[in-house]
Amino acid sequence: MAKEMIAMLLAGGQGSRLYALTKNLAKPAVPFGGKYRIIDFPLSNCVNSGIDTVGILTQYQPLVLNEYIGNGQPWDLDRLYGGVHVLPPYQKAEGSDWYKGTANAIYQNIPFIERYEPEYVIILSGDQICKQDYNDFLNFHKEKGAEFSVAVMEVPWEEASRFGLMVTDENAKITEFQEKPKEPKSNLASMGIYIFNWDVLKKYLEEDEADPNSENDFGNNIIPNMLRDGRKMYAYNFSGYWKDVGTISSLWEANMEVLDPDGSGLNIFDENWKIYSRNSGKPGHRIDAEATVEDSLVTDGCRIHGTVKHSILFSGVSVEAGAVIQDAVIMGGAKIGKGAVVSHCIVAENVVIGAGAEVGLMPEKGQTGGVATIGSNLRIGAGAIVGPDAMVECDVKEGTKI
Amino acid sequence: MISSNSDALGIIFTNTYDSSVPELTARRSMASLPFAARYRLIDFILSGMVNGGIDNVSLVVRENYLSLLDHLGNGREWDLTRKYGGLNIIPPFANRGTSIYSGRVEAINTILNFLKDQKEKYVVISDSNIVSNVDFKDVIRFHMEQNADVTIVYKKGKVQVTDAQAIVENHENFFTMDLDGTKVKGFKINPEASKTEKNVSMNIYVMERELLIEEVTEAYRSGFLHFERDVFANNLDKYDIQAYEYTGYEARIMSMKDYFEENMRLLDEKNLDELFGKSPMRTKVRDDAPTRYVRGCRVDNVLAADGCVIEGQVENSVLFRGVKVGKGAKVKNAIIMQDTVVRPGAEVSYVITDKNVTIGDNKQLAGTESFPVYVAKGKTV
Repeated sequence: MAKEMIAMLLAGGQGSRLYALTKNLAKPAVPFGGKYRIIDFPLSNCVNSGIDTVGILTQYQPLVLNEYIGNGQPWDLDRLYGGVHVLPPYQKAEGSDWYKGTANAIYQNIPFIERYEPEYVIILSGDQICKQDYNDFLNFHKEKGAEFSVAVMEVPWEEASRFGLMVTDENAKITEFQEKPKEPKSNLASMGIYIFNWDVLKKYLEEDEADPNSENDFGNNIIPNMLRDGRKMYAYNFSGYWKDVGTISSLWEANMEVLDPDGSGLNIFDENWKIYSRNSGKPGHRIDAEATVEDSLVTDGCRIHGTVKHSILFSGVSVEAGAVIQDAVIMGGAKIGKGAVVSHCIVAENVVIGAGAEVGLMPEKGQTGGVATIGSNLRIGAGAIVGPDAMVECDVKEGTKI
Repeated sequence: MISSNSDALGIIFTNTYDSSVPELTARRSMASLPFAARYRLIDFILSGMVNGGIDNVSLVVRENYLSLLDHLGNGREWDLTRKYGGLNIIPPFANRGTSIYSGRVEAINTILNFLKDQKEKYVVISDSNIVSNVDFKDVIRFHMEQNADVTIVYKKGKVQVTDAQAIVENHENFFTMDLDGTKVKGFKINPEASKTEKNVSMNIYVMERELLIEEVTEAYRSGFLHFERDVFANNLDKYDIQAYEYTGYEARIMSMKDYFEENMRLLDEKNLDELFGKSPMRTKVRDDAPTRYVRGCRVDNVLAADGCVIEGQVENSVLFRGVKVGKGAKVKNAIIMQDTVVRPGAEVSYVITDKNVTIGDNKQLAGTESFPVYVAKGKTV
């Protein structure tokens, strides 16, 4: 039985610009928004859009991601035919290869895709926060009679040269592709989300693989080659929330935007478009009489005795009396000691911050400040001071300043 | 059997004591009573059995069990979707043309054929109105070491007035024991309220499967209904009945007052740690977003689950999943169940609202500590 469309999710990125946060885990597995990981967004989008077959291409630090995905049950992707499959590079009769590029990762999994005889394949990225109905996107693709469609966002012209840009005619047909150009001819930035007719994609993947000079990349090779051949290629204008969370500041910012669903457009509370995740299995959270909690998200297993303002607390965080947390992202199991001041920062899983320590700094009003980051399982000694731009990758001793 | 698993199967009665909290069980069984912000009573005994290596569990349901079935699904959340064993739900009329059973003897008698087909050596039997984290591995180890015929789990405590009241209109399942060391010397069925500590049965029994089959067959033939009174108490000289003392956290629900107080008792972190600190308690997952505390809200001493949106004030209260407290609303000393909406400006204190209740704009509703007001499922005040 053929599937109309299956999804291939690129989750192999190292996420090197997240430094300490991706030391032990792949970027798609980075915790987000109180009880999610980044990959929950594309996976939930798939399920909510009716896609029941997803291949996840992993390569870098796959352990946490593999365990997290498991059999796919939390996303309702444990299916007899289809469902979610983690696809690492594997050894073949003629030898084995790491995934050389995004296109090569798909090329190496042609047999997986062929099992489902899909008409269309959607290529997704595991390092973006986005709520998108892929049905609308597919309908656009069909209406245009396209062989390739790419989801694009309008970006401010002054920032356009940071993106891959699609130049289109009045029918949204792509006439030119510019990769980070000095002089942009368009402000439609590629979101890295593509729909291909499978027969066309397969042909181009095979040709690309045969070219020894190719980087085996969608943006650099496959898309330019298709344009060269005059294929039917269209740009789909997406106007919802989308953010590449590949840097510390964008990751922090996206978390803060969760706190303001009306202003930011990132609404994780929408009952009609739920974001699914694996459950922590912890009891409810408790807020003590001496605590103050405002403008924040709190989830199961938290114990709050201090002050929490405009922050996100993941499961099992404990905040001791007198501690003040503001504009912060505190990931699962972290412990914030008595009187500690934790602001404008990301604290990764299971970090212990000692009594009276200071982590991060609130920027002056109207200014943008650096986001301090503390890697998982680290200890910040009592009274230590961690500055606003710090990237902490090892324990910080009591009373020291970095 | 590999040592990580117990050589025992579980049987849980889901409707015992239903009539002691008639409001709450109007449309559900005791086992599916919401408890501790995100659980149902059944979660505790079920998780306890699974944590104790018991992965073949049968639930004997009698009536009002739709909400329980919905909660349990196929048992996946408790890791009980197994090829052999797993979760097994036994509705009435399972294999006999008799009416709904009236005692445990009759209930177990309806599943005799099932019991005969199982392979575990031991059976662990329990009710579902007691919240605890009994270590079943240790109970079974004790049972084997003592070479007992029956082991009964108990906790030391006073017999409360409410307990004594509850059993008058209920069952025979409530009893205390006289002990010589760990050996049971006598039973007091339906004891009166006491000022001193007694050995109060938790109605958790361990015995060999073969012995259970034999005793139930015999008792049923003789027309006996009640396990404790007719089987245990009458056979003290025939069988070695041993008592296992449980010293951990216990919440026993035998009245509306118990229900209110036992939920409130979990606002104390020490109690939360005692109940949840040892081993994980599993429940049905609902995929709620984290709870949102909006600017201007005030929260003091609250136990809350995910999915709530708090814009007003909440004090000394337990909030279940998906509760909304509007701007200017005040919730005090209350148990607010799943998806209840307290509209802006409304004030409630000493209330229990069941699932999907709406408290209208600026409405006021107050009970007292000894008589909290109960609002039934789906009602609008």
